[in-house]
Order: sequence, then C-alpha cells, then structure tokens
Amino acid sequence: MEKKQSKRKTSPSLANLCIESASSSREIVETWRRQKQLISKKRGNKKKMEKKQSKRKTSPSLANLCIESASSSREIVETWRRQKRTLERLPSHLADALFRRLRHRRLLYPSLLEVFQHCVEEVDLSGESSVDAEWMAYLGGFRNLRILKLSDCRSLNNHALWPVTGLDGLKELDLSRCSKVTDAGIKHVLSIPSLEKLFASETGMSAEGVKALSYFTSLRTLDLGGIPVTDKALGSLQSLAGLEYLDLWGSEISNNGAALLENFPRLNFLNLAWTKVTVLPHLPSVTTLNMSNCTVHALFDGESKTRIPLSKLLLTGATIVDPSEVLRNVEASCMTFLDISGSSTCNFSFLVNMRRLEHLDLSSSNMSGSLIDDLAHVGDNLRYLNLSKTKITSEAIALLAGHVSNLETLSLSYTAIDDASLPYIGMMTSLRTLDLSHTGIQGFLSDKTFSLIELQNLSILENLNLEETLVRDEALYPLAFFRELKCLYLKSNNLSDIALQALSSPLPNLQILGFRGAVLTNSGLLLYSPSPVLRTLDLRGCWLLTADVISLFCKHHPRIEIRHDVNSAIGSSSFQNPSKGPRARHGGEKLLEVPILVGMNSAIGSSSFQNPSKGPRARHGGEKLPEVPIFVDERIKYVREELLDLRFSPLSNLTLQGREMLPTILRKESDA
Amino acid sequence: MKKEETVKLISAEGFEFVVSKEAAMVSQTIRNMLTSPGGFAEAQHGEVTFPEITAPILEKICQYFYWSLQFASGKETEFHIEPELTLELMMAANYLHT
Repeated sequence: MEKKQSKRKTSPSLANLCIESASSSREIVETWRRQKQLISKKRGNKKKMEKKQSKRKTSPSLANLCIESASSSREIVETWRRQKRTLERLPSHLADALFRRLRHRRLLYPSLLEVFQHCVEEVDLSGESSVDAEWMAYLGGFRNLRILKLSDCRSLNNHALWPVTGLDGLKELDLSRCSKVTDAGIKHVLSIPSLEKLFASETGMSAEGVKALSYFTSLRTLDLGGIPVTDKALGSLQSLAGLEYLDLWGSEISNNGAALLENFPRLNFLNLAWTKVTVLPHLPSVTTLNMSNCTVHALFDGESKTRIPLSKLLLTGATIVDPSEVLRNVEASCMTFLDISGSSTCNFSFLVNMRRLEHLDLSSSNMSGSLIDDLAHVGDNLRYLNLSKTKITSEAIALLAGHVSNLETLSLSYTAIDDASLPYIGMMTSLRTLDLSHTGIQGFLSDKTFSLIELQNLSILENLNLEETLVRDEALYPLAFFRELKCLYLKSNNLSDIALQALSSPLPNLQILGFRGAVLTNSGLLLYSPSPVLRTLDLRGCWLLTADVISLFCKHHPRIEIRHDVNSAIGSSSFQNPSKGPRARHGGEKLLEVPILVGMNSAIGSSSFQNPSKGPRARHGGEKLPEVPIFVDERIKYVREELLDLRFSPLSNLTLQGREMLPTILRKESDA
Repeated sequence: MKKEETVKLISAEGFEFVVSKEAAMVSQTIRNMLTSPGGFAEAQHGEVTFPEITAPILEKICQYFYWSLQFASGKETEFHIEPELTLELMMAANYLHT
C-alpha cells in the first residue's frame, strides 16, 4: 500500500509551474521583465488580501476557553475536581492540555494529581523543584502515562522514584539533571521494559548503573551525558541494537569504546563531545555527530570505502589535525550543518564540496581574508553564516557577496570590517539578521556620505546589531529604510538625543530597541515617540536619565518594558498589567500609586516581576502590590522647587476622587 | 427567520434549540453534517440530535456559536463559562470541533 501511495505523484501547483516556465530561459525572462507594473500590482494584491484576512478574527475555540476557565483559579479547580466520572472520560489530549495549563498557572499540587490518573498520557514537570515522593506517589497511579518528563526536579531522589515501577506503559522518561538520582534509583526504572527513550544526563549514575541499562531492549534514545561511562560499561550495552540516539558527552569513553559503536546498526545521532575519542569507526547510519572539544584524527575510519552521508557535524573547539584527512570518509555533498567554531584548523579547502551547507559557524576560527575563496564555493544554500571573531576583512566580504544570495543570518561581530564592506553586505538581500557589533563601522564612507544607506536593499531585515561601533547620531538616519526591522541594538557613547529622535517614527515594526550607554537626557527620552508595537526599551548605561523621568515615560507608554540601571525591572512590573487587554478594570485605581511605587523598584522586581505566571493574567500580583510592607515616600526626595515643578506634570493633573483611591499607608497618614 | 435558515439542535433529554444555520456552522462537525454532499439525514430535516450532550451544555454551546460570530465581526467580549460546566463543555466542544 505504502509503495503505491508513494508512487502516485501529486501534480505540481499551477503557480509553481508558472514560476518554472517564467525562469526557464533568458529570452522568457526578457518577455516578462517589462511587465513591472504587473509585478508590483501582484504584490499589492497580496498585501491587500493579507490585510483583509487579518481583519476577520477567528474567535478562540470553545475547548480552549474551557481549559482557560477551568484553570483560572484554585476555587474553580475545586468546583470541577469532584466530577470524577467526567474526568475519567476526558479524552487524553484535552486532559494533557488542561494539565499543562494548570501547571503553567502553578495550580497543581500532589492531591490534585489524583483526578487525572485515568486520562492523562503526558506529564511534563520539568524544573519543578517541589516534585518529591508525595508527587511521585500520585503519578505512580497514572495508568495510561506514556511520557514522564522530570528533568531538573532537584528534590527527586531514589526513594521518590520508586512508584514509577508501576507505569508499565511508559515510553519516555526524562530524569536529566536530577542529581539525587543514582544507580539505586535507576533500578526502579528497570521494571519498565517497554521504555523507548531514557534521558539521564547529569544524574548521579555511575558506570555500574549504566551496565544495568542493557535490560531496556526496546530503547531507541539514550542520553547519558555527563555520566562517567567507561568503555566496559558501553560494551555491556550491546544488547540495545535498536538504539538510534546516543549521547555520551563528557564520558570516559576512549578509542576502544568508540570501536564498540559499530554494534549499534541504527545509530543516527551520536554525541561524543569532551571525550578522549580521537578515531571514530565506520558508522554508516550516523547523520548527526558531535565531537566538540575532542582531538580528532579520523572520522569513520575503516576498510569500507563508502562515504558516510553525514548531515550535521559539530566540532566546536575541536583540535583537528588535518581536516581533509578527517573528513575523507564523509560525503561532503550531504552536509547541511557544520560548526567548527573555535577550532584550530587553518585549512578550509574541505568547504569547497559542501554545496548543500545551510548553517556554517566559523566563529573564533582561523578563517581570514586569504581563505575566503573556499567559503565562496559553499554557495547558494547557505542560510546562516557566523564569522565573528575571525580575521575577516572588508575585502573578503566583497569576494563573498555575490555567492551567498540566500543568506538569512550573518554575524561579523568582533571583526576588523569597516564601512567599505557595507555596499557588499547590501547585496545579500535575503538577510534577516545582521550582527555588526564590535566592528570598525563608522556610518560614513570615505567620501563623507552615509554608509548605512548602502544597506537599504535589505528590505526584509528584522534584527540589526550595531553595538560598540563608531556610529554617530546623524549616521543613523538611513535606518528609516528598514520598514521590517523588529530588533535594533545600539550601544555607544557617541549616541545622544538626536539618535533616538532619528528612530522615533520611521520604524513601524520595531519591537525591541537597545539604546545603551548613550548620552541620553531626560528631555530626549520624553521627546521619543516609540513605534506602536515596541515592547522593550533597553536604556542601561544611559546614566543621565533619572528615575522619575523613566517612570513618567512608563506611564505614557504602559506596554513598554524599560531596562535601566536604576530600575532594572520597572516596565513589566505589575502596574502596567491592568492596561493589557480586556482586564483593564483596575487600571484607573492604580494610576495614583504609580509615581510612588516607582521609588521601590527593588520590591517590585523581587515580587511580581519574577512571578513565573506573569502575562495578561497577572492580575493577582497587581492586587497584592499595595500590601507590600516596605514603603518609601518619594516626596522626601524632592526639594521644594522640584515639587512645585511637578505640579504641572501630567501625573499631577489627576483629581482625587475620594480617599479610597489613596494607598492604605497614605490614608493612615492623613487620618493622623 | 425562514425555516431553511435554521437548524434544530436536540439535547440528550429532548430539549430543542433552534439556531440560525450560520451560527451552527461555527461547529466544524455540524458544518460537515449539513454541507456534505450525498446528504446526512440531518441535512434534509435540519435537525441534529446529540444523545451525549445535556441541555445546559447544549445551551451554552449555542451561546458560544453566537458569541463567536460576534467576535469574528470585531466585537470582542469575554465569554463566561460557569466553573461546574467546564469539563462537560470541554468534551462537547471537542466533539463538535469548535
């Protein structure tokens, strides 16, 4: 049946056929080239269509609304938790979704787990430090559990793990970084022979415990990262013939142990980072290999002459003796992901044949201007290229520019490139992310014209990093061309009010603006009119700003989270939450507290900001705020003149509508 | 409203809810029943019986249909769900693909 289905081809879509035909020869291109109007019109149509579609909103599904409502508070949980028969019938995907939601809202507690024991199939409690023997006792009753994720549950110990013995349908168990779980704990797990995936990295297991894992004959995924697995222990795992994913980073495996890997005929993911392995045997099924921080002499060494179709290779910080020798048995044309950052090699000729490469990380390597020719051969499939901290120069970028037309991410930070490279970067029109931080870019070409204007063809650029460059205020004006820009990072003491003004209106999609270390004055900040979608404004290191001006700005723009040294967490503290979405009811009552609360950012920061259940429903955090016991009356900070000035600030224009609007502590004061 | 433009939804106990076709079609399941060629009996009579759904739940579902149409036309209000109904309603919504 399957064969038949795969034989039956689907016809290509009409649009694709048109594209094929339109690009089939130069003559044909000439025929439609002049229909410029049509092309631009089509684009317009598409935009219109998109607008129309986005206008018609689809309502949230009723099932989702129910899950939201059922997990909105502890009282509501109490009303439905007694409907046991309904809970038993709940389809597992709904039960799983409700369970996830309750956990996210921190409404789960051990005895509540009981109501889910018949319906839930997937439990993810990763990172819950409260998970202990009591939780596990309830989880042991989950008859239909297939997936149990307990990574980073720090309180989990061997004794607590005992109830998993009853979970005979379990397929996946994640105990990563549960450091209290040792060999004795793993013994409990051994009673689940159906287990297919076991994650036990950085647990307290020893080589002896690893040997016991040979019972899991159905195991397909085994993660033993950070455990001192020895060659002998690996040898005893040879019964796991179905193993597809094996992670042994940081183990004590040597070349002798690596030779045993030939006994896993289905292995396709292998991680041997931080081991003493230097020679890897011939493993024909492996597609992803990580040998970071190893000394590599040979990969897939053996008599067989077939090359390994490896698609992903990580050699971060590895010592590669002779790259062309190491990669001799690798089919270069299959490689799509290569990370050789920080490795010591000086020979990049192996890149020439890697024509399908999409992701290439060469940061901190010896790549330099004279070696760029090899890189230029990699060609059109490249999407991600990291050249940061290399000896690359502007001339090298010029050589590269015509060869990487589909590049989406380019990092050139900490390199010696300057403005001369920008015209060439401007030719990489598919770029979405561009990192030019810590370079010699000044914003001016040698003839004193703005250099950033050369990037104007990057019409879909979304992220731009210009931190720690020499770019001055007026040189930022060309940034107005980047209509799609979502994140912009600037950090320099060459920037002032003028730069922030230049960024005021023209960037309609800007969501994150980093404006650090600038000589920004209070009035400069207040004159800034942010884009309607701006979420984060990072002003760290703008030392001229004062806390009250920042709080004033926050009040004007309640959506925006401000980061600044004097109030590291002010923006997302609770007083802006009431204005988010339909829950704005409390907004009016909060207004008065704003300027006062600003003075105690430390208290805000430590309470509601770190509350993991923040987001539009953080209303509870907001209501609690006035009860914070520490209180500093900000008025003592001001001299008389300043207080008089404050009368005209928009904040003072609020009229008091009754004493109940005052925070409790002020009410007491006026009573006295 | 003409009879052709309405659908009768019948609960487990036999309560009948008459809603407009447009509203009922918010549910993918009902839409399939009413529009699939070849014709379910439901399409001919304009009646759908839900032996698994009780009247209070079906009433809430009808409310949701109209709320959803309002939401789509831009009027975004909150849809209130009584806590004791959530689980049953969730299952019914799952069955009706709404």
